[in-house]
Amino acid sequence: MQLKRRSFLKMGLAAGAATALDMKFLRYVGDAAAARTSEGETITRSTCSPNCTGACGFNVHVSDGRISTLIQSADYPETGYNPRGCLRGLSMMNLVYGKDRVKYPLIRTGERGSGKFKKATWEEALDYTAQKLKGIMEKYGPEAVALTVQVPGTGYVHKGALVRLAGLAHWSIHHGYDQNGDLPMFWPMTFGVQTEELESLEWPNARYTMVFGSNIIQTRLPDAHNLIKAKNNGKLVVFDPDYCSTAAKADEWVPLKPDSDAAMGLGMAKVIIDRRLYDEKFLQDFTDFPILVRKDNGKRLPAKDVKALANETAGWKIPPYRSLFVIRTPKGLAILNPERLDATEAILEGEFEVELTDGSRVEVRTVFSELKEMLAEYSLEKVAALTDVPAGQIERIAVEAATNTPLHAVYGASNYQWYNGDLKGRAISLLPVLTGSIGKSGGGISTYAGQYRIRFNLKEWWSAPGGKLNWVPYLYFLQGKGKRYPQKGIKAMIGGWGNPFDQHNMANRLKDRTASGDIEFVVTFDFSMTTSCQWSDVVFPATSWYENYELTATILHPYVQLQQPAIKPMFESRTAFWVARQLAKRLNPEFEKYYYPDLDENEASQEIIEVLLKTGGFETKGITLDMLKKGPVRLHSTAPDDRQIPFWEQVQNRVPFPPRSYPAPLKATARFLRSGRIEFYKDEDLFLETGEQLPVQKETFSETEYKVDPGARKKYTLRFVTKNSLYRVHSTHSNNVWLNELQGNKPKVFLNKNDAAERNIKTGDFVEIYNNRGKTRAYAVIDPGCRRGTTIFEQGWWARYLKNESYNSLTMPWIKPLHEIYFVPGIWSPTTVWNECLVDVRRVTA
Amino acid sequence: MSTSKKIGFAITGLLMLAGLVAWGIQVKEGLVLTNMRNSYTWGLYVAGLAFFVGNAAGGLVLSSMIYLFGVTSLKPFAKIGALCAFANVTAAMLAILPDIGQPIRLYNLVLHPQWRSPLVWDIIVLNLYAALSLLYLYLLMLPDFQGPLKKIALKVDHPKEFSEKWAKRLAPYSLAAAVGIHVITAWIFATQGARDWWNSAVLAPDFVAAALASGTAIVLLVCLLTYGLKDEYTQAYRTMAIFIAVALFTHIFFMYNDFFIHYWYGATEALDVLSITFKKYALAHAFEVVAPLAGVILLLSSNVRKSAGAMMTSCFLIIAGIFVHRFLLMPGAFDRVPLTIAPLGMQNTEFSVPIASGQYEPLMNTFVTEWHYFPSGIEIAIFLGVLAYVGFLIILAIDRLPIVKIEKAQT
Amino acid sequence: MRRGMVIDLEKCIGCRSCVVACKQHNAQPAGNWWNRVVTPGSERHLTPPEKGKEYFLPIHCQHCNNAPCEKVCPVNATYTEEDGTVLVDFERCIGCRYCMAACPYGVRQFNWEDPKKATARYGYQDGYTYGHPQEFRLKGRLVYMPSRFKGVVEKCNFCVHYADKGLDPACVRGCPGNARHVGDLDDPDSRVSKMIRDKNGFTLLPEKGTKPNVYYLPPKRKEV
Ligand SMILES: Nc1nc2c(c(=O)[nH]1)N[C@H]1C(S)=C(S)[C@@H](COP(=O)(O)OP(=O)(O)OC[C@H]3O[C@@H](n4cnc5c(=O)[nH]c(N)nc54)[C@H](O)[C@@H]3O)O[C@H]1N2
Ligand SMILES: Nc1nc2c(c(=O)[nH]1)N[C@H]1C(S)=C(S)[C@@H](COP(=O)(O)OP(=O)(O)OC[C@H]3O[C@@H](n4cnc5c(=O)[nH]c(N)nc54)[C@H](O)[C@@H]3O)O[C@H]1N2
Ligand code: SF4
Ligand code: SF4
Ligand code: SF4
Ligand code: SF4
Ligand code: SF4
Ligand SMILES: [Mo]
Repeated sequence: MQLKRRSFLKMGLAAGAATALDMKFLRYVGDAAAARTSEGETITRSTCSPNCTGACGFNVHVSDGRISTLIQSADYPETGYNPRGCLRGLSMMNLVYGKDRVKYPLIRTGERGSGKFKKATWEEALDYTAQKLKGIMEKYGPEAVALTVQVPGTGYVHKGALVRLAGLAHWSIHHGYDQNGDLPMFWPMTFGVQTEELESLEWPNARYTMVFGSNIIQTRLPDAHNLIKAKNNGKLVVFDPDYCSTAAKADEWVPLKPDSDAAMGLGMAKVIIDRRLYDEKFLQDFTDFPILVRKDNGKRLPAKDVKALANETAGWKIPPYRSLFVIRTPKGLAILNPERLDATEAILEGEFEVELTDGSRVEVRTVFSELKEMLAEYSLEKVAALTDVPAGQIERIAVEAATNTPLHAVYGASNYQWYNGDLKGRAISLLPVLTGSIGKSGGGISTYAGQYRIRFNLKEWWSAPGGKLNWVPYLYFLQGKGKRYPQKGIKAMIGGWGNPFDQHNMANRLKDRTASGDIEFVVTFDFSMTTSCQWSDVVFPATSWYENYELTATILHPYVQLQQPAIKPMFESRTAFWVARQLAKRLNPEFEKYYYPDLDENEASQEIIEVLLKTGGFETKGITLDMLKKGPVRLHSTAPDDRQIPFWEQVQNRVPFPPRSYPAPLKATARFLRSGRIEFYKDEDLFLETGEQLPVQKETFSETEYKVDPGARKKYTLRFVTKNSLYRVHSTHSNNVWLNELQGNKPKVFLNKNDAAERNIKTGDFVEIYNNRGKTRAYAVIDPGCRRGTTIFEQGWWARYLKNESYNSLTMPWIKPLHEIYFVPGIWSPTTVWNECLVDVRRVTA
Repeated sequence: MSTSKKIGFAITGLLMLAGLVAWGIQVKEGLVLTNMRNSYTWGLYVAGLAFFVGNAAGGLVLSSMIYLFGVTSLKPFAKIGALCAFANVTAAMLAILPDIGQPIRLYNLVLHPQWRSPLVWDIIVLNLYAALSLLYLYLLMLPDFQGPLKKIALKVDHPKEFSEKWAKRLAPYSLAAAVGIHVITAWIFATQGARDWWNSAVLAPDFVAAALASGTAIVLLVCLLTYGLKDEYTQAYRTMAIFIAVALFTHIFFMYNDFFIHYWYGATEALDVLSITFKKYALAHAFEVVAPLAGVILLLSSNVRKSAGAMMTSCFLIIAGIFVHRFLLMPGAFDRVPLTIAPLGMQNTEFSVPIASGQYEPLMNTFVTEWHYFPSGIEIAIFLGVLAYVGFLIILAIDRLPIVKIEKAQT
Repeated sequence: MRRGMVIDLEKCIGCRSCVVACKQHNAQPAGNWWNRVVTPGSERHLTPPEKGKEYFLPIHCQHCNNAPCEKVCPVNATYTEEDGTVLVDFERCIGCRYCMAACPYGVRQFNWEDPKKATARYGYQDGYTYGHPQEFRLKGRLVYMPSRFKGVVEKCNFCVHYADKGLDPACVRGCPGNARHVGDLDDPDSRVSKMIRDKNGFTLLPEKGTKPNVYYLPPKRKEV
């Protein structure tokens, strides 16, 4: 009974056991490698890859051409990854065969949003789309057409096909990472990267794990068992205002006040520094702490301005994205080498005068001294008041964490999806940095949001000769203005793998703009008839990951995997590659040649996969399509055993920060860390003006809700936290019959007992959540774990389940000006802050 | 045939037909047409089984009393007793038939009986009882077969003596069988460790007591309908009234005895179950106690016994009360999910684990901890059909068979 | 050989993947679920009954050694296999639901209507159905079939149809928490026996005397 499937397979082969899955019958169905069982079923290994980016391997059992069962393939070489998968993946047949499956190309016939369409042939739909797009491009310029492809990391071939087309046609393109608010801005600010994270297999190597608002048990479900292991190997502390299920599994739950994580991080950093529990060597070599800062203007002191060093600077050859800063060593002032992180013996603390080239003298001090002074503001008592957590507990945890390294901090999306989320991330990063946990097995800081991180070089397929992309932050599109917003506006939306009419800000305004004709043309490519499809002019039926070839990667584990067709495409669905090729050739016959015109879509997809693997760079070296057909293959990394350990190379091989974030060139991101080190001190003007040169705690809503409407303080007293549901991947699976059954078939809003009592609301009541921007409706649940002043909504319901009022009519695309001082798409860009939202709730009749 | 009989035939006939049609529809569509679901698996049909089994008791007990204890005043009613017993015990089996999801497979009961199952024992004793009551009826009628019925009469020299002798011989077995069907039917419930409401040693004796009350009330009712009030029966009616009263008091004593012990001990499960009966079904419970009590108190009054109508009303109150008592077997058992656990660190909370109801509705909870059961139209139709069958059979038998002696004599 | 299951509540993250795997692989019609996961004390899964107190509990047939469902079944449709697995013979069951009344764990489900009809309520395209497609007979008795008869009882069958192929049950293979294990309870050295011994395995409703073959390991445990 204890037979493991894999060993059983082997046994079956050896013994030829009659009932075993006989691998001798391994044969190709279509092209996919599939095994045939003695019962006439075929088994195909594909990859579940919706926007949760779990990328879990599944075995698809097919009989009579239909999926009969799905089960985790559990074929990852490390048992710690098996059996990846979840309830959503296990019920995917409900979407493949469900009643909302888009069957044919559809062209709108009724009013916008009326849901009235006619069934069209592909020819008709493609011709019509191409003609409309051409019209718009001619009238407003090509950048008036904007493409969104969500979560590119989970589909390099098909998502790439559309990006390639956008490039060829010079369209605008939105980056999903900032559109979704998944972009944690502290990363580029502090570490110069888009995002980094430990692979989950590394979690158990931490001696201390702090989770700041990441509901791993639900949102990183297939990896959650590694968190339990981490708990058993060390200690797991969850900081979350809500008693979420991850908090329930922790050794300790710290119910801090929402949006007070910056204070918490700073308070603990102060304890660690005051007690000298920090790793001095690490700070000297890998951080900006020893760098000198001018007291007069707050800027870091450039070596060229220092009399004693100015001459020496001439001899330094550094890339333009680097600067030479000054440190003090026991031997005196020195230039900090931004290209090597060699031991410097730098003195961390100090305040003194330096003579400048012009002969003047300025007062300077180290970043560390700046930090210490700033931290003086964050006494335990004050932090306790700010966070609502007892001082003793904060102090104890800080000491525990600092004395049990490596420390791993997980910083979750809901936590940074606040206006000052960047400040929180910067403050929390202090903890793994101070304890020297970065670049070590089991240590560091990780974010696991919808993962956009491209894992290797995609250029060969994603861009074509002559291509050009006009990246426009989605928030500019919503606001209809912004630095990079096309002059004549964006008039056509083309989207796939996303459902912006539910999932994104101003869902109601988007509908209004579409209804009014301000947005002239909407095309959606999906396999389910989502709200966005309902609002589209043309809907293209897409294949699911059991109907096509695709190359997928993710961040929770470092494996590249294939999607392979287990069944024929349902109805008239086609791959995005095919659609892109068809559109390309209609837009410009010249484009067709970039889309393998001689191959059918499956052959082409496989060809592209081979190209991608060949040209992917160091990470994909030696990996071939054939290897992938047999199972998942680990990407290469600089860490031993190809482990995914952020900054391993930086710390172990003393290579400067940051590592490259694909697809941006290094120079685009390295300029965020001009010192080549982890930077806590930011001296760009706006940082100084806003007093955020170092992380600080700021009052929630003061620059957003309270600023635009001072009355909001009294009128809307509930924070609207929209988090992810166990039962959905955002709005994917919103219509999954089983999963809806498991949650009582009703959308819910969770309330604190006292807040509910004040509003005369009981569990089960139908309530309206509202503010002056919009409203939505759900059934109330009094949740003893829900904090006073917070109302939690599990987002991801299609509008049809909410009386056609989206929760995203309540949220607001706030833009923090600091996020606009640079622009690197998806890396330094205005990012959405879902939780920066105030509402009230009242009882209504259904 | 008298018009009242004709009306009787018409009504019961139509109801039977309706019940049959309802059953047909139910067979076709499935038990989904009932209001039972996974968490509430038994309802009116099974209550009907218990009810009719109970009613069946009176007949043979009455008859056996005549021969075992020499309560001769009851002699004229012996045949009615046997007839009622037969009608009700067969009705019991009919009542349970529509509860079977796969009635065609009932042959499995014969091919693959599972000897540990109280249901198998019950089926056996019910059939035995049916046979016995039929036999008893036959024996008692033996001396009176005339005309075409002569053909089915056993050829014996002295039918009267033969009948007497065998009636006497069978009496102890009848009594045992009557008690047996109750005890075993009760065991179906009482053996259920899963249902605290049933899992009690007093259930079997209580079943017997309640059965004696309702069963006798049925016989009394039929006697009143057929014979009316006559001086010669005053004594018999009085005996029956006292008998019913004793049985009912015993039943109420058993019931409250059980409640009291559970209440006193105060286990949460027991209290929960009691609260279903005393709170949620307070009215029904009041009825199951007050109605039959009122019935027997009335019957015990000789004044009341002067009016056939009043007596019949009293009988009806008793029967209805016992019917409600039988129906209340279900809520206490099924209103509360048996799997309850105390959540960790909250030792004093009882939590019922929800059950998938077996019904998918796009806007309803599939998982339930409570299921509000009230029989559906189909269930009621079928139950009424079975009830009508009892009436039909009794009228038919009385019409065609030498059961009611005096009338024969008068004609 | 006594086939048993151990569910580690410390590792169970309440994700209900086992529930869905079971539903899917065993082709349960609309409204029927052989397996369920609850948050004890709370009406809503994942809503704690009280601040700071929460764990998850998966429940399906406990495969009782003293199985009341088996003892009450008048036709021996519910029976116990040699290895202790309690099964329902879909061809034998008469649909009296006596076993449902008798089971203290509320795990038995009934086909109130034709399962095809029930499942049609899910609204699939083209009459789609899910589940392991082949029926399975054990010593001639029909213990798994992809589409059940109307009016018969069904419940967790410990995935006999998979056991026969040497595969673990769907819920075990589908559990991303690594919380579920099957093995031989008769063998004191088996992994499951060890777990029960070393980690204080317990059964549900021991007071009912059903002697389940499904064991749970306590939640909120810290292994050091
Ligand atoms: N099941 C499921 N999994 C998913 C997804 C899904 O939709 N469904 N989506 C995927 C995607 S795209 C993303 S971005 C990730 C996001 O996954 P997570 O990062 O886990 O985000 P959330 O679940 O939204 O929220 C996590 C926790 O943050 C807490 N929180 C909110 N505000 C604060 C705060 O101010 N401070 C602190 N300390 N905590 C706070 C919330 O209470 C919540 O418990 O999940 C991914 N995984
Ligand atoms: N208020 C509020 N809003 C939020 C959030 C929040 O916390 N609060 N979270 C935000 C976050 S973090 C994110 S990541 C976004 C996510 O928002 P979206 O990216 O819009 O994600 P989904 O709603 O899952 O939409 C994905 C769509 O892609 C389709 N799809 C899946 N696979 C394929 C495929 O292979 N081919 C094609 N053609 N289509 C496919 C699915 O059917 C589905 O309709 O939502 C954001 N919205
Ligand atoms: S939905 Fe996400 S976590 Fe679940 S199986 Fe699919 S990829 Fe994995
Ligand atoms: S799949 Fe595993 S972890 Fe998830 S609920 Fe079931 S037993 Fe628990
Ligand atoms: S849990 Fe219920 S169905 Fe399963 S063996 Fe025990 S009594 Fe029978
Ligand atoms: S419903 Fe079926 S399995 Fe259950 S007791 Fe009746 S015949 Fe046996
Ligand atoms: S063993 Fe099989 S039938 Fe039983 S709960 Fe698990 S998956 Fe369901
Ligand atoms: Mo996301």
